[in-house]
Amino acid sequence: MYYYSQRNNDETLMYIYLPIAEQPIHSLAILSVGAFLGLIMGLVGVGGGFLLTPIMMFLGIPPPVAVASVANQLVAPSVSGVLSHWKKSNVDFKMGTVLLLGGVVGSSIGVLLFNFLGKIGQLDFVIKSSYVIFLTLIGTLMFSESLRLTLRTRRGKVSRGKLHQHNWLHGLPFKIRFRKSKLYISILLPILIGIVVGILAALMGIGGGFIIVPAMIYLLGMPTSLVVGTSLFQIIFVAANTTILQASQNQTVDIVLATILLLGSVVGVQVGSRFTNILKGEYLRLILSSIIILVSLKLLIDLITVPSDLFSVIISR
Amino acid sequence: MNFFFRINLIFLVITLTSDTFAQNQIVADLSQENVKISTDFQGAKILLFGAYDGKKGDDIIVIVTGPKGLVTVQKKEKIFGVWVNTKKVNYINTPKYLSISSNRKIEDILNKKTQKISEIGLNNFNIRIQPGIKVENEKQWRQALTRNMLKSNLWSVNENSVSLNKDALFRSFLELPSNVITGQFEVKILHYRNSKLVSQQINSINVSKSGISAEIYGIAQNYSTLYGIFAVFLAILVGWGSNLIFRKV
Repeated sequence: MYYYSQRNNDETLMYIYLPIAEQPIHSLAILSVGAFLGLIMGLVGVGGGFLLTPIMMFLGIPPPVAVASVANQLVAPSVSGVLSHWKKSNVDFKMGTVLLLGGVVGSSIGVLLFNFLGKIGQLDFVIKSSYVIFLTLIGTLMFSESLRLTLRTRRGKVSRGKLHQHNWLHGLPFKIRFRKSKLYISILLPILIGIVVGILAALMGIGGGFIIVPAMIYLLGMPTSLVVGTSLFQIIFVAANTTILQASQNQTVDIVLATILLLGSVVGVQVGSRFTNILKGEYLRLILSSIIILVSLKLLIDLITVPSDLFSVIISR
Repeated sequence: MNFFFRINLIFLVITLTSDTFAQNQIVADLSQENVKISTDFQGAKILLFGAYDGKKGDDIIVIVTGPKGLVTVQKKEKIFGVWVNTKKVNYINTPKYLSISSNRKIEDILNKKTQKISEIGLNNFNIRIQPGIKVENEKQWRQALTRNMLKSNLWSVNENSVSLNKDALFRSFLELPSNVITGQFEVKILHYRNSKLVSQQINSINVSKSGISAEIYGIAQNYSTLYGIFAVFLAILVGWGSNLIFRKV
């Protein structure tokens, strides 16, 4: 054979060349990763981006491409999720709009920051260390919370507290009424939360659900039933803004990678959401938090162990 | 394909043996001059073959150089327990692909000095550091560049990979990895006799993206905002569509 044949067995056909990441990848592997993450998203309500981006990095996708493409794929399950929640009237659109205003500003700042970090060569480090910090934090919180819940349901005690706690944050000016959430709070608070989540979303390739959901419950005092739908609503816009800015500023959105991922994830979400009533939430959270802790440990080990080579190269395209 | 190559080779031999053929000449051709990176691209293997006017003990070295440009080498240091990139050196005019192939060990063909002068060998290739940057321990950085480029398969040394036949024909496989950079590649074939260059020839390979993969890359570069909007639109459509489909299930 003088010509090198690419199509001589079935295995090679499974590979697809990613035009932006500029490398081939196993399409079934990516599809199943998307489906698995979608399944978690459907089951637990959160957990799309913050697990997906590290997994993409473990698979060898350059972190800038991973972050931008995951932001793109997050749009799909969020749209799908909002539509389901909307039907059940579980979305506070007024609160969502205020949050997304902050989110759009925040994600724009995030992309600029992303650009700057890339120029000074610290992007990989910042992405990885942000993941270590947030995944450890969220993983530990989730783990202890679900463990407590599991133990409590075993004992058979379920206590119900006040609707929400009032703190100094509720004393800020520019108060506005959110009828759906039964809240009368300062508009500055949700905007600020939106900005912070937006920055992190753009920088880490996440929707920010795992930050915004606790923030909505504990800081804003929103009813739990509205939290997931409303956060998904604002994630659509933050993820969309991040995708468009990443594409125009850094050209790092790999539409092929994002499409394979999102095809897997939308199916996973739907399947997952059908099983939420069958499987116990606490156990799921326990499993998910263990996965999160493992991922953050792996990232941490990468950061603190002596690299096999202290030197690395960046080949500009 | 096999048939055409035979014809080609026969033609080459005829040319060589005919009287009109000038002495000390090398004739070479490639099985593929245009490499297309399409959605199923996983690297390419190109046959380089040809004839040379050789004597017993002659050597052939093939050097393939890809497009040149900026390559940055970074060094990590431990700060507060974590490893962070702290120093960097920019190498300009660095070949983003470099392969050196020969019929036997290069050190047996050429001595160290000749290798250096002729820029043969990964560390002998003339690569400049960006002017204005002061670099301590330059050799260490250059070795790091070579080591990392070798690891990425973009640089390679393949001794004993050129096969010679009856001191008249040679052939060698050139391998381009899947992460290869697009552009013009120079294939330089050098014919040595007793460590002296007898003849040489330069061919070229053009590596480009093609098909959907090229289209997507082009749009992402040239119409980047539109591309981003389209990517979002596609995601919304899939999300909405999946909701419609699954509602009925």
